[in-house]
Amino acid sequence: MYYVINLLIYAAVDAIACLGLSQQFGVAGVTNFGFIIFQAAGGYTAAILAMPPDSANGGFQSYIGGWGLPFPVPWIGAAVAGGLIALPFTFLVGKRLRGDFAAVGLLVTAVLLNLLVTNYVPLFNGDAGLSLIPQPLQGVLNPQASGYQWAFTGAALAVGLLVYLFVRRITESPFGRTLRAMRDNDVVADSLGKNLLSLRTGMLVLGGAIAGLSGGILVSYITTWSPAAWGYAETVVLFAAVIIGGAGNHRGALLGAVLVPVGFEEVTRFIPTSNNLPPNLIPSLEWVAIGLLIVVFLWFRPQGVLPERKRVIALPPGDGNGVPGAALVSVRERPPPAGRPAADGAAETVLESVGLVREFGGVRAVDGVSLQVKRGTLTGLIGPNGAGKSTLLATLAGTLPASAGKVIYRGQDITGVPAFRRARLGLVRTFQLASEFKRLTVMENLLAPVPHNRGDSLRGAIAGKRYWSRDEAAAIARAQVILRRFGLESVANSYAGDLSGGQRRLVEIMRALMTEPSMLLLDEPMAGVHPNLARRIGNELVALCNEGMTILMVEHELAIMDEFCDPVIVMAEGAVLAEGTMQQLRGRSEVVEAYLVG
Amino acid sequence: MKSTTKPMQLVAIGLAAALVVGLAACASKSSGGTAPSGSTLTIADVAPFSGPDAALGPTYLASCYGATTAINNAGGVLGHKLTCKSVDTRGDPADAVPAVNQMFATTSSLALVIGCTSDEAASVVPIINSHKMAMFCMTGQSEFDHVHFPYFYRLVPPDLEESYAMVAIAEEMHYSRIALAFGNDIGSQTFIQPAIAALKKAGITLTTNQTLDLSATTFRTEAEAIIQSHPDAIMTEALGSTDPTLFSEIKQLNGGKMIPIIGTSAAISPPFFKAAAAAVGASEFASDFRADNLVTESSGPAYQAFSKALLAEQGKVPGATGNFTTYLSAPGGVHLYDGINLAALAMVMSKSTSPSVYGPDIIKIGDGVPGATVVYSFAQGAAALKAGKAIRYEGPGGATSFDSYHDSTGIFQVDTYSPSGNVNVVGNLTAAQLRALSG
Amino acid sequence: MTVFLASLGFGLVTAAVLAIASVGFTLQFGVTDVLNLAYGAIMIAGAFVAYVVNQAGASVWIGLAAAVAVCSFGSVLVNSGVYTPFQRRGTSPITMVIVSLGMTLIIEFGVAAVAGGTSVSYSMSQGATFHAGGLILTAVQLVIIALSLVVMAGVHALLRYTKLGKAMRATAANKTLARNCGIRTGRVITITWALTGGLCGLAGVVFAMDSGSFSPTSTDIFLVLILAAVFLGGPGQAYGAMLGAAVIGIATEVSAAFIPADYKYVVAFVVLLLMLGVRPTGLLGARA
Repeated sequence: MYYVINLLIYAAVDAIACLGLSQQFGVAGVTNFGFIIFQAAGGYTAAILAMPPDSANGGFQSYIGGWGLPFPVPWIGAAVAGGLIALPFTFLVGKRLRGDFAAVGLLVTAVLLNLLVTNYVPLFNGDAGLSLIPQPLQGVLNPQASGYQWAFTGAALAVGLLVYLFVRRITESPFGRTLRAMRDNDVVADSLGKNLLSLRTGMLVLGGAIAGLSGGILVSYITTWSPAAWGYAETVVLFAAVIIGGAGNHRGALLGAVLVPVGFEEVTRFIPTSNNLPPNLIPSLEWVAIGLLIVVFLWFRPQGVLPERKRVIALPPGDGNGVPGAALVSVRERPPPAGRPAADGAAETVLESVGLVREFGGVRAVDGVSLQVKRGTLTGLIGPNGAGKSTLLATLAGTLPASAGKVIYRGQDITGVPAFRRARLGLVRTFQLASEFKRLTVMENLLAPVPHNRGDSLRGAIAGKRYWSRDEAAAIARAQVILRRFGLESVANSYAGDLSGGQRRLVEIMRALMTEPSMLLLDEPMAGVHPNLARRIGNELVALCNEGMTILMVEHELAIMDEFCDPVIVMAEGAVLAEGTMQQLRGRSEVVEAYLVG
Repeated sequence: MKSTTKPMQLVAIGLAAALVVGLAACASKSSGGTAPSGSTLTIADVAPFSGPDAALGPTYLASCYGATTAINNAGGVLGHKLTCKSVDTRGDPADAVPAVNQMFATTSSLALVIGCTSDEAASVVPIINSHKMAMFCMTGQSEFDHVHFPYFYRLVPPDLEESYAMVAIAEEMHYSRIALAFGNDIGSQTFIQPAIAALKKAGITLTTNQTLDLSATTFRTEAEAIIQSHPDAIMTEALGSTDPTLFSEIKQLNGGKMIPIIGTSAAISPPFFKAAAAAVGASEFASDFRADNLVTESSGPAYQAFSKALLAEQGKVPGATGNFTTYLSAPGGVHLYDGINLAALAMVMSKSTSPSVYGPDIIKIGDGVPGATVVYSFAQGAAALKAGKAIRYEGPGGATSFDSYHDSTGIFQVDTYSPSGNVNVVGNLTAAQLRALSG
Repeated sequence: MTVFLASLGFGLVTAAVLAIASVGFTLQFGVTDVLNLAYGAIMIAGAFVAYVVNQAGASVWIGLAAAVAVCSFGSVLVNSGVYTPFQRRGTSPITMVIVSLGMTLIIEFGVAAVAGGTSVSYSMSQGATFHAGGLILTAVQLVIIALSLVVMAGVHALLRYTKLGKAMRATAANKTLARNCGIRTGRVITITWALTGGLCGLAGVVFAMDSGSFSPTSTDIFLVLILAAVFLGGPGQAYGAMLGAAVIGIATEVSAAFIPADYKYVVAFVVLLLMLGVRPTGLLGARA
């Protein structure tokens, strides 16, 4: 009887922990190899909140805290502590650090903290850990009674259910979509206006709080907690659980929790200890098995037993015309740039670079580029391979920092402004290589970057569907119009990764348009696209420019440049060679030479 | 990419959960209460069989085998034979709890629990106690000096006392300068503060206090620091490979010469001797090593019975490696053998296999009533009880005297090793000596 | 003061072992872009191979040769059989870390399953002890230091003067470009793993020689030291690894002379986290 209760409580605790990890890792792509630290922090916090001061019980333990607070304060404190302790680690998940480096940093931190807690005894009683931790309400109820035990089990399962509903609510919101986009391609998400640092920090804190809660519940049940219970290997077990169960699917996390930490570890207890086997064999083989499971699953079924569900978004019927707020593109009305008079006949300069340099490893990919892009123009950017066109685009967009020089956008110096903020100011880029969010549908790809969706924040997500459904509907309507315009409505609910190359280029352009940009930086948008479709895109782009959009476009097809772009800038070896219409450029010898030679 | 539908996913989770829980429920049997007649009684060895303290589980199993075989040969208990079962706690509280719960669920006719070391005692003792199961535990944690668990019995000294005993040894050897080198794990951390206080009281200079990280593999700087502090001897407990590594490095750095060592009772174990001997050489190690240990007999009727029973199990205990005769002095060997005998005799005396009934008789038999016949083995005791006499059991661990927390601590002796790994007793420590050192 | 000098000497030994290990690790990363966290496990596997040979009666130095061979072969297997297929699929670096963690579990606990969990040690004499200017080192330790210097010199010569070395550097810098230049990158990678796998085995055996005794989990903490040395110098930079090993090896041992000895590895942890937070390309790596 007690064993069943034990299993259920462990299942609940592991499920809660796995849900936290699923949210952090499966949905948001934050790989936190120190995950167990947060559960440990929750456990210790719950303990020191519930325990009497350390002179009690004969004073054989030494620890900080000991305020003897009643239930449910320890559980709440555990969640809070788990969240707070995430904050110092945010420096590891900022944009600058490679994902695998950050993961290693977190893994090492788990080992370090275990060492520190073990050695610094006055903190949490060192290696012996804390014991005689009071169970909830043990002053008034008898914790040994089976009624109490069942009630505890019920409470743990109830908390588990609440956590499940909570993370599901977050994941099924526009905010959840943003997280998944970040997971699928963080550089692109950044370029579309998502603040990666803030998102990752939020997820670290949220996952940490959930893990902390699981630690608090566990500690209240087993009444002890020591470093032996939270080695870094426990993190690996939880990762295995989420991977096997299905990363990105919260039910998968539940399944994984039942299969791995509970099922697997408990099943091995039933293996009879034979007289001939060395005693260490079974536990060692257990670890080997977990390692094998991880590698095998990642190879054969990386999506896990229960893969992430496809979110199918129903498109409202109708022809899209007259739908309120469903203009093809709303070039956002922005306040006129400071200090400049309103349109004075000559088109204003939207984007300007002054002596822009981008250097890497001793090579100057962009070598002192000064150019101006005028409002309402479809400006082309051409040049031989290796001229630095993409790098220039990246530096203008902020994806790569400039080594020297300035970037001025609508009169404002944005040289130091990070990419996502430039996107929010209306300067949006696309990428040369396939950069769709692969595990999101086409529709979701389009909805992800929409800037004014109330559901696209943690608070909005928690507030629930009713809070953001209107903004969402408006965004869906807009997306539908764009899809129709570019002829992709039929694949709206296919995974973006499943489309053909040409279709994916379109998705990229449409997605950029969804951000309500003022200026687009397009990097070879027609690459791999059927010539007819390319012309249609070209016409669309021209139409946009007539409505006030500014576009700087990199392309190789000179015919397209001819037809659509005016002016055209030529780059070679990192510098601007010339500028003018294609006809003018064709007549200039240095341009011709650059193309033949470079 | 095929995606399973919502109901299918829920079914999958539900099935998996049901399978695991069902497995547990199926295996569930009632435990406690009086065993059906003729059935076999189980004694469970709840201890680490894996992880860093993996040597402990088999040690206790050896004494279990020895005790139960002798009991079975003498006719068993109330018509039941006894058998031993190992329950692997894996050395950490979070794993120990389900292990113990599973034990209760799957063991019919559980009559006694032995083992419960410092690694898991804090988490499992309350559980075992709430199941009204008697247990003889090996933890010296101070917690159990003051907290009342009616089904808990302990025949090994609290860690505090061992610290004092080590210092008492230093006093006897007339050491005036002592270095401390303790590991950073549960068992060893508790020795440091009492040792420091006792050294001060004894007027012995503490030359250096090095805490050894048990996960490290070299300790040269620590060894050099110890050597540079010029101690007369080193007091140490650092289990696993740490102490042997430290010893070999001290020897290297000290020009090939070992510094005298004072160890704890944990050093009285075959794997420890094997590792230390490999590190610095058997005769070199044996020549300058002393450890405190609870007094255990090395001759006399109790010892004879014990030695005969235990040595008969040589080669039959899974996981028990090294020089088997060391178990004759190892704390887990001696005291758990006594604990099992006490429990068995109490069952005979109370005519019940239920701990709530036979528990009080453990105290009676252990402490004895005036006029009780002293017996030295189960066979003797069972015979005397049959003849209607009151008995008092005195095993190889010596006379017991339980206090109100069911802790019994005996007198300490000083053990050394011979070069072949046999344990020799070279002296005794009196209670007065220890009292003089305590705060 | 004497403890400080002595610890300086011990630091040299730790640095020597660490240098051999770190150079191997960093070259593996440089040429394949994978943080092979199973490196520590392969090290200890090598240590046990030498142990088995040693127990069978041969000298531990012969065991060392056996370990180098086994680990070299094993590392090539791990890369060709596991890492490369995953990478060919376009697996992200983070998932590669998870894969390498899985391999760590398989190898380390595979060794534990076979060898048991208890600690063992080599039957070898440490040789005479030498005192020189406050440093105290045994003959074996001096051999280890010498071995490490030879390995460093060898790696330097390989990278700078041989065609293979240049091919390795090219592959590490830009694999596609290297291939376009006619370098058989597949073969270069295999050879690199064979060489660094051998270094891994060598490191494992000298690590075990330097420890009083070892068990299958002994290299868990050592891996952190390797990571610290590698990231201090810059991942992929062989000279960086050598520099990092020297700093970390000496710093950890010397710190034990001043702070409580059980915290000595904290130094390595702090260095690693600092580098990751402030300058992930390392001291010798290019500024990002």
